[in-house]
Amino acid sequence: MHETLTAPKAEPETRMAQVPAQLELSLQGALNLALDEILAEDPKALVLGEDVGTLGGVFRVTSGLAAKHGAERVFDTPLAESGILGMSIGLAMAGFHPIPEVQFDGFAYPAVNQIVCQLGRMNYRSRGTLPMPVTLRVPSFGGIRAPEHHGESLEALFAHVPGLKVVSPSDPQQGYSLLKAATRMPDPVIFMEPKSRYWQKGQVVLEGSGAAGTARGGAANDGGGSPSSSDLTGARIARAGRHLTLVAWGAMVARCLQVAELAAEDGIDVEVLDLRWLKPIDAEALATSVGKTRRAVVVHEAPRTSGLGGEVAQIITERCFATLKAPVERVTGFDVPYPSGDLEDEYIPNIDRILFGIQRVLEYKRG
Amino acid sequence: MAEIPFPLPDLGEGLIEATVLEWLVAEGEQVERNQPLVEVETTKSALELPSPQSGKVLKVHGAPGDVIKVGEPLIVFEVPDDTAGIVGTVPSDEAPKRRRVRLNANLDED
Repeated sequence: MHETLTAPKAEPETRMAQVPAQLELSLQGALNLALDEILAEDPKALVLGEDVGTLGGVFRVTSGLAAKHGAERVFDTPLAESGILGMSIGLAMAGFHPIPEVQFDGFAYPAVNQIVCQLGRMNYRSRGTLPMPVTLRVPSFGGIRAPEHHGESLEALFAHVPGLKVVSPSDPQQGYSLLKAATRMPDPVIFMEPKSRYWQKGQVVLEGSGAAGTARGGAANDGGGSPSSSDLTGARIARAGRHLTLVAWGAMVARCLQVAELAAEDGIDVEVLDLRWLKPIDAEALATSVGKTRRAVVVHEAPRTSGLGGEVAQIITERCFATLKAPVERVTGFDVPYPSGDLEDEYIPNIDRILFGIQRVLEYKRG
Repeated sequence: MAEIPFPLPDLGEGLIEATVLEWLVAEGEQVERNQPLVEVETTKSALELPSPQSGKVLKVHGAPGDVIKVGEPLIVFEVPDDTAGIVGTVPSDEAPKRRRVRLNANLDED
């Protein structure tokens, strides 16, 4: 990461002195802390899903929450995803703020009817009288060599559904801040957690810790400002650069940051834009970044055809057509089912494929 | 740390119980997935149960000769919170920066 996160030395030890301004946490730990704080702050919040209660989730994200907040607020459900979502929709109609989990993205499919036909439409159908403040947590994407159905990349499917918001955090800070932001929204949010990043640690500046001014901000105020709610609605610059913009989200942000370091060895200064919100997409941040670099490569794990990369490329083209040096390049998965286990390395965009994509943009000649 | 219990599974065709013959692991021992845990005897046969996961053995239930019913606790594992979930593996910290592609561009016109 570009910014250095440090506790403010000058902060007087007056408020919440026992709470550290920041912690080193894994993504799973940061999400766990966020859920803990949400449950403490919002008496209407509920956590439900398969094995989220007693077991604490297969990825430990809900560990300890049932013991602390009670089995009535953090509870196990039957192995039936349409039921998990149906229950959440009913709870939201009754005034609760459910935070359901679908254990793996491949098992979101059985809940698609509830997500598309009910969750996304209830506010519209009821003329705004039945908002759906539901945050659906979905461990997403590949990278852990899991069997089939345990790794998918469903962002384009969800982003296409009117009424839903879609967001994916790329590191522990984003996980903590974006989950809190998502649960405060009146709209249903699909929260796609990159499961290959669950164990990666990073510094997390806590809300209300008196650390304002040190956390990573949004794209609009790169390098400064606390993650206030206004900063959490758009993209963020993960690394600033001059020659080319890599657009990514979720687990691909870390890979693009590695690529940017390698590109720097060759004299190419790459900017990495962590899109974060995949619906709605922060068109202004894309225009600002690519308006500056005039070249863009978008990277995602999902299959290329009708993937979100096409949407990103079109937004960039609409905003930056006159100054673009080359067509927007896509480095993506392939139009095949998301592969399991050992074939993942052949499917997920790797460092060399992203570098090839950058090279194609760099050497593009008009006419 | 998380405690993960493993109840005696149905060892086939509706068997309802099994007798512990010999424990092959001890409390406090670190075991790997598929490592034999215990030898049990059913009305059909004696067999070794492989471990469904890796972890530290926190508690074993039943001494040799004891009968355990299907679904009752057999063994409890202790697993650190930062280990893999039930499915998949923890990816290595950061992939080594292997690269075969070099970038080559003339940016003078910029």
